[in-house]
Amino acid sequence: MITVGLNAYILLSVVLFAIGFFGVLVRKNTLIVYLSLELMLVASTLALVAFSRYNGTMDGNVFVFFILTVAAAEVAVGLAIIVALFRKRMTVQLDELNALKN
Amino acid sequence: MTPVPQALLILLLPLASAAIIALFLRRHGGLATMVSVTAAAALAGLSLGLIFGGERFETSMEWMSLGGLTISLGFKFDDLAALMLFVVSFVGFFIHLFSTGYMHDDQARARYFGGLSIFMFSMLGIVFADNLFMMFIFWELVGFSSYLLINHYHEKQTAADASKKAFIANRVGDFGFLLGIILCFWTYGTVNLSELGALADSGQLAYSRLIPLLLFCGAVGKSAQMPLQVWLPDAMEGPTPVSALIHAATMVAAGIFMLCRIEVLMVAETLNIIMWVGTATALYAALCAIVQSDIKKVLAYSTLSQLGYMVAAFGLGSTMVDHDGDGVLIAAGVGAAMFHLTTHAFFKALLFLGSGSVIHGCHHEQDIFKMGGLRKKMPITFLTFTIGVLAIIGLPGLAGFFSKDAILLLAYQNNLPVFAILVFTAVLTAFYMVRMWKLVFFGSTRSDHAAKSHESGFSMTLPLIVLAILAIAGGWPDVYGKLAGSVAGLVPHSEAAHLTILLTSVAVLVIGSLGAWAFYKTDGSDSLEVASSGAFNGLTTLKESFDGLYGFYVAKVQQRFAMLLNFLEQIFLAGLIIRGFAGFVGLLGLGARALHVGSLHAYVYWFLLGVVMLWALTSGLF
Repeated sequence: MITVGLNAYILLSVVLFAIGFFGVLVRKNTLIVYLSLELMLVASTLALVAFSRYNGTMDGNVFVFFILTVAAAEVAVGLAIIVALFRKRMTVQLDELNALKN
Repeated sequence: MTPVPQALLILLLPLASAAIIALFLRRHGGLATMVSVTAAAALAGLSLGLIFGGERFETSMEWMSLGGLTISLGFKFDDLAALMLFVVSFVGFFIHLFSTGYMHDDQARARYFGGLSIFMFSMLGIVFADNLFMMFIFWELVGFSSYLLINHYHEKQTAADASKKAFIANRVGDFGFLLGIILCFWTYGTVNLSELGALADSGQLAYSRLIPLLLFCGAVGKSAQMPLQVWLPDAMEGPTPVSALIHAATMVAAGIFMLCRIEVLMVAETLNIIMWVGTATALYAALCAIVQSDIKKVLAYSTLSQLGYMVAAFGLGSTMVDHDGDGVLIAAGVGAAMFHLTTHAFFKALLFLGSGSVIHGCHHEQDIFKMGGLRKKMPITFLTFTIGVLAIIGLPGLAGFFSKDAILLLAYQNNLPVFAILVFTAVLTAFYMVRMWKLVFFGSTRSDHAAKSHESGFSMTLPLIVLAILAIAGGWPDVYGKLAGSVAGLVPHSEAAHLTILLTSVAVLVIGSLGAWAFYKTDGSDSLEVASSGAFNGLTTLKESFDGLYGFYVAKVQQRFAMLLNFLEQIFLAGLIIRGFAGFVGLLGLGARALHVGSLHAYVYWFLLGVVMLWALTSGLF
């Protein structure tokens, strides 16, 4: 059986996090930015699971359960906000959402 | 019922009544009257049971503990408290009853009766208090309820001013009282009255001159002694039953009661001061009373004068004592002061209610020069008022005679100058009381109001009759002995000096009253002003000198100081500190506003920058 080391998981987690972060930085569509944010969140949970496995304790796994639960609720709220935003402004492009500035 | 819950019920009944009136009955004058009078009647009945049930007890419960300071609430019900409880609940009930008639047509009856109830609660708290902190709490509460009730006719500017004056003058005294309590706790480690008494009995009390003097400040404010006497005459702006209850019978007597409570702390020097303050007040107020034309103001100055008597009696009974000797003479002061307090409560409440009946009958005319001839029109009021007058000027056999004699005896034994002043004051008392009595009830009617006057209703005459009986019998040794228990045993007696005192007081009575009877004509002008305008103006100036002095102090000295403080405040606090801080924060805001560019991506970059900085910081790069 091929065993995958901790470093590989951490690396994957970092890569996923970086992809998510650059997604947030460069994409203009709110939905995509939101997806990228979720990706960053999941990347961090992956690291937690890996650590948990490596240490042989359940701490990390427990964290993941909580994070996923909260994330599910947060996604529901966040998507609802985006839908409401779209209904109001007819756009979800970030460049056009700058009402607070003016 | 066991005594402690009974005492608790007595204390809480008027509070419940006040709460019900304030919360639900503010628009229902009739119902509020009923609630308040019922509560007063119930508590009077319960009090009689408690007083004559013979149980004396003491109990206490911790209220809050702040470090070393424990404040407790408790009841100390001894003979002294029982006597005071009788005065407050019994006289209080009849004044409630009188009010139902007197205030019947008032628009704000509910507020008035709510005020009476809250006052009864506060006053009973002072009576029951077993420590000085608890007494102070209720002390302030009576001040508050007195403020409410003086201010009853608040649409009148004079009434509003009078209530504020009373409140502020009391604050001055109470400041000293509070300092005294704190110092007492600091020095002795307790403010519980019984514990202080036990300390004194075991000889462990380090006597201090300052503590009793500071505590006496509270009595100076509440009992309107010099130099804080200015508020009491003005307090007559309140409804007349309030003047009878608060400013004659109970609240102003609370100062005397408090002195008797802290008697164990007294030292000779302090007592000397107390004695002279009381004597000066007695004389000053009696002089002022001669030139008053308002029936209630005459009574107000007379109250001041009699309170001065009580304070002087307290001081006198103890001046000769050092604490190594026996404590008999101290107690003599307490005995005489409480005796006079009790009889004074009866006859002065009677006189005030009588004047209330007169004012009510004369359609709110208060000027005695516009009354006259009311003897025929108001026979019951006349008869009872006469008894009140005879009691206060000390006709032998009536209540005032016995108690005034006890005080004169103390003065005769201890301090002859004070004796001379008090005797002279007694002459003046007879003089101004007979003057008022003659002007109000004799001669011909001198105004339309007086001509159309009528006798008051039953609810007002009944209290007069009951109080008249007490004003006659309240001083008889049998009656007073029943009421006061062991406190009655403290009243000084002397077989040797008895005849001297008796002759003196009869002579005083005759000179004063015959003088006034012969001197004053019932022709609508002040005979003294006609005969000697110099003397009249002199007395008027004397009366106004204190008000003038305080007016000058407040308007000139204090106002200037306030202006100076305001100027400094404008420069330093408002200028440098407040404007300075605001400017600094504004500057920061200006910088922060530049970061706000409106693009989400820019914010993410800021965020990234922040994370990098944080990482650099934690990994020690800076």
